[in-house]
Amino acid sequence: MSTSTTSQRPPDDTFTEPQRSRSLKERLLGKQPLGLVFSAPYVVFLAVVFAYPFGLAIWISFHDYIFTAPNVSVPHPFVGLQNYVTALTDPAVLRSFLNTLIFLVINVPITVVLSIVLAAALNTGIRWASAFRVAFYVPYVTASVSLIGVWLLLFSQGGLINSILGPLAPDPSWLINSKLAMPSIAIYVAWKQLGFYILLYLAALQAIPKELYEAASIDGSGTLGKFWNVTVPGVRSATVLVLILAIITGANLFTEPYLLTNGGGPDGASATPVLLIYQKALQQTNPDVASAIGVVLVIAVGILSALANRVGGGSDDE
Amino acid sequence: MNDRGRRVLLHVALAAAALVFIFPFYFMVIGAFQENPTNDPSSLFPIGGWTTRNFSDINSRVPLGTALLNSAIFTIGVLLGTLTFGLLAGYASARLRFRGRSVVFVAMLLVQMIPFQLLMVPLYVLLTRTYGLGDTHIGIILPFLVNTTAVFIFRQFFLGLPESIFESARLDGASELRTLWSIALPLVRPAFVTVILVTFIGPWNEFLWPFLITKDVTMQPLAVALANYITNVSQTASNPNGAILAGACVLAFPVVLLFCLFQRYFTSTDVGSGVKG
Amino acid sequence: MKKRTAITAMVGATALLLAACGNGGGGGSEETANTTTGPITVWFSNNEQELAWGKSVTEQWNKDHADQKVTAQEIPAGASSEEAITAAITAGTAPCLVYNISAAAAPQWERQGGLIDLKTFSDGEDYLTKRSGDLLNGYKGQDGGLFQVPWKSNPVMVMYNKDLFKKAGIDPEKPDMDTFDKFIAASQKIVSSGAAKAAIWPSPTSEFFQPWFDFYPVYIAQTGGTNFVKDGKATFNDDNGKAVWEFFHTLYADGVSPKEKSNDDAMGTGAAAMQMAGPWAIASYKGKIDYGFMPVPTKDGKTADETYTFADSKNISMFTSCKANGTAWEFLKYTTSEENDGAFLEATGQMPIRPGLEKAYPEYFKANPDYVAFASQASRTVDVPNVANSVEMWQDFRNKYSASVIFGTTPIPDGLAAAEKSVNDLISQ
Repeated sequence: MSTSTTSQRPPDDTFTEPQRSRSLKERLLGKQPLGLVFSAPYVVFLAVVFAYPFGLAIWISFHDYIFTAPNVSVPHPFVGLQNYVTALTDPAVLRSFLNTLIFLVINVPITVVLSIVLAAALNTGIRWASAFRVAFYVPYVTASVSLIGVWLLLFSQGGLINSILGPLAPDPSWLINSKLAMPSIAIYVAWKQLGFYILLYLAALQAIPKELYEAASIDGSGTLGKFWNVTVPGVRSATVLVLILAIITGANLFTEPYLLTNGGGPDGASATPVLLIYQKALQQTNPDVASAIGVVLVIAVGILSALANRVGGGSDDE
Repeated sequence: MNDRGRRVLLHVALAAAALVFIFPFYFMVIGAFQENPTNDPSSLFPIGGWTTRNFSDINSRVPLGTALLNSAIFTIGVLLGTLTFGLLAGYASARLRFRGRSVVFVAMLLVQMIPFQLLMVPLYVLLTRTYGLGDTHIGIILPFLVNTTAVFIFRQFFLGLPESIFESARLDGASELRTLWSIALPLVRPAFVTVILVTFIGPWNEFLWPFLITKDVTMQPLAVALANYITNVSQTASNPNGAILAGACVLAFPVVLLFCLFQRYFTSTDVGSGVKG
Repeated sequence: MKKRTAITAMVGATALLLAACGNGGGGGSEETANTTTGPITVWFSNNEQELAWGKSVTEQWNKDHADQKVTAQEIPAGASSEEAITAAITAGTAPCLVYNISAAAAPQWERQGGLIDLKTFSDGEDYLTKRSGDLLNGYKGQDGGLFQVPWKSNPVMVMYNKDLFKKAGIDPEKPDMDTFDKFIAASQKIVSSGAAKAAIWPSPTSEFFQPWFDFYPVYIAQTGGTNFVKDGKATFNDDNGKAVWEFFHTLYADGVSPKEKSNDDAMGTGAAAMQMAGPWAIASYKGKIDYGFMPVPTKDGKTADETYTFADSKNISMFTSCKANGTAWEFLKYTTSEENDGAFLEATGQMPIRPGLEKAYPEYFKANPDYVAFASQASRTVDVPNVANSVEMWQDFRNKYSASVIFGTTPIPDGLAAAEKSVNDLISQ
């Protein structure tokens, strides 16, 4: 993945400089051991905040574990895959993964298509481009909590959207309709995140050489032809990144089902794995099953991201 | 002519899209100052019924001042952490050759793959139990202390500097720290604006983590206090819709303002190159 | 090289800071802990009147106990107070006392080691027996532990808006809606006459506690006082349970009960003509609407004095994270004295769980006839079962109920059977 635009030297990881006499210290710690000191706080941070909890989550998922008050000790026997079996035979859990899939199927295409089209349009040197950009970015920078307050009012039964739609309004209304709750969330998230993806595409677009467009013009391509034959392939690596980020966002949905559809309603039609992790770990005190769901989720995200990378990237990098 | 027509069409289409994006904000601001915001389309362009009651209403149940202060402490803490530790890590991984440099880089990439929510529960136990950081500012800040995206952005900027300046600095006998402080830093000043904007959004808007770790209302940042208000308290307010919208405004306003002020520095190239690594 | 040292020092300081924080916690033995005094924190529910009472009683206490200052707080954010408390126990940040403990959640906190058995106080059992009498038995934990102090109940009745009833052509003084059929017919009248958007608007969301304010009171009334769980088995998969599910299903299917949560207080704005409510509602709605109360309906109708209902009781527990148990215990006794129970009744209208309530506070009930019906109803209530996995059990029940009753996606007999199986499985775990 490199659509870098700033002129830069490739990172020099291999120490290919002419070998002068290297001291023992240099051989052990590298040429500029100060780098270790500089990186240390960040590395400690990663270890404390990511590596250790991740390891603990995996450990918990293989044990019978409950949270206890401090100073209370209870045995945490090893139970093998039992938590995974409990999690994966629970219809609510399966439903939540299905919901995530529904989310991705709706959200990802909308996100990719709209952001690439809008970025391309913004990139044509039109007037007021920066005003338009602000409009697209603002939902991205605003907190979900405040935006959800607004969407709740807009999309409720007697809300503005339904008043405008009149007889076309869905029944039951958007957020309590088991067929529309997840799509509503998918559209909300697409709206909220689009600005960031537009930003990524705008960066990628700068990297496409002008000559390619000129050549396409000479070949007689129209606007559409140029978009399809030059722009789309030109930003492919950005597309892979957008795909992966959208998948991660989709897998991490919590605030939206928690607040927008009142805890994944109706009937779990918009429940997500992360919402269940939260419910099981904190409401029902089953952190072991919750961790198992989490580990499955990480594996699923990994596989999907690798797939996205495969489909979007690699194959014909000449 | 055809070309001109097409350009007009493009502007109209973009303007329409922008309107869709902005509309909920318009609805939010108008409703926040209305005595009784309704869902009727005709009420979108109100001529009367203006009030600031909604803000005092929400302030009576949620300590807005305290909550804003907590949000500010949270955000500033994360910014400080990112601007020091993130900067150092970004610089080291871009310009210094030391053992383990590639390991750090790979770790940076992997971290972005793990959903934070999985780590949340063990981390919660770790921070509250082992370190006793429940209901403390450090506990709220710690998981966000260094924004990995920001590390990438710094790294990209430092990579973009020509090697020759570093060589001449070394020839002059300047220490690495001095080279970083007085030579490299001034050259990557634009990176700071980008990093601040990218980093600011995270803690300011974060809901789940501070919601978990703070049980004391006087420690809760605004996003948490507002969510609490929306789910629990708003029903008994005299004008719950108005109060919700007013709260949403208070939360959204600082970040939107900051963004609009600095958006011209927030160029796409920076973030684009930053995120890609 | 001065700057390098500075950086190293900074890193070192951070590590020290982390290490220093790691040594928090730890505590003495139980006996000494129970006499420790000092400042404590106490959580109250976010009900306005309750909070006001809590703050005033705390203020009085603080006047006389400068060295044992009590800080009163609202229970923090969360969809329900239960999750906030669970998280706080795990973290060791729970307060000393919480005045909003549901019997449904207490067993799980007991299992977590979060609650203090009040028997460990020398006068613990005596005091609780003195204040609650036989009522105490329903709140004992495993092995008879006293983890909850019975405090107050909110016997659920049907509250209605008299003006809206008049508009719909229903006699507000004698609504005559004690059977399911009559209730449904009147509900249809309310909506079709345009008097209100909704006849009754139970929250259609899926929080585990929602059945307590729709299904459970009606089920208790219908069965004449049968608990949700009896002898370790779910009781509701029978004709009674089915009749209640069908009753609510009709309300939703006819559109007289909306399937979407109300964004505001539907009863207060007149969007709904009725709601299930306890005596707390009187203080909240006084002066806003003209209200009346009637007993919960049953299939064939019952008289008021033989109708049972859901107690919706809330109790007080002390938490193991408390650092000043002695103060907490004294404060607990202070707030549940006959005088302060009376002040609580006065301030909130909720019923202290004490035997002979009407006789204990005769002036109050004379001055506030609105509450007499509740005081009488308080003697015919059933609470949630005091069993482990209770929250998960109610959550599963709610999910099945929601699918069958509210959204009609699963046939009622199937939903009932599935709910029964899942509840039985959880109890036997």
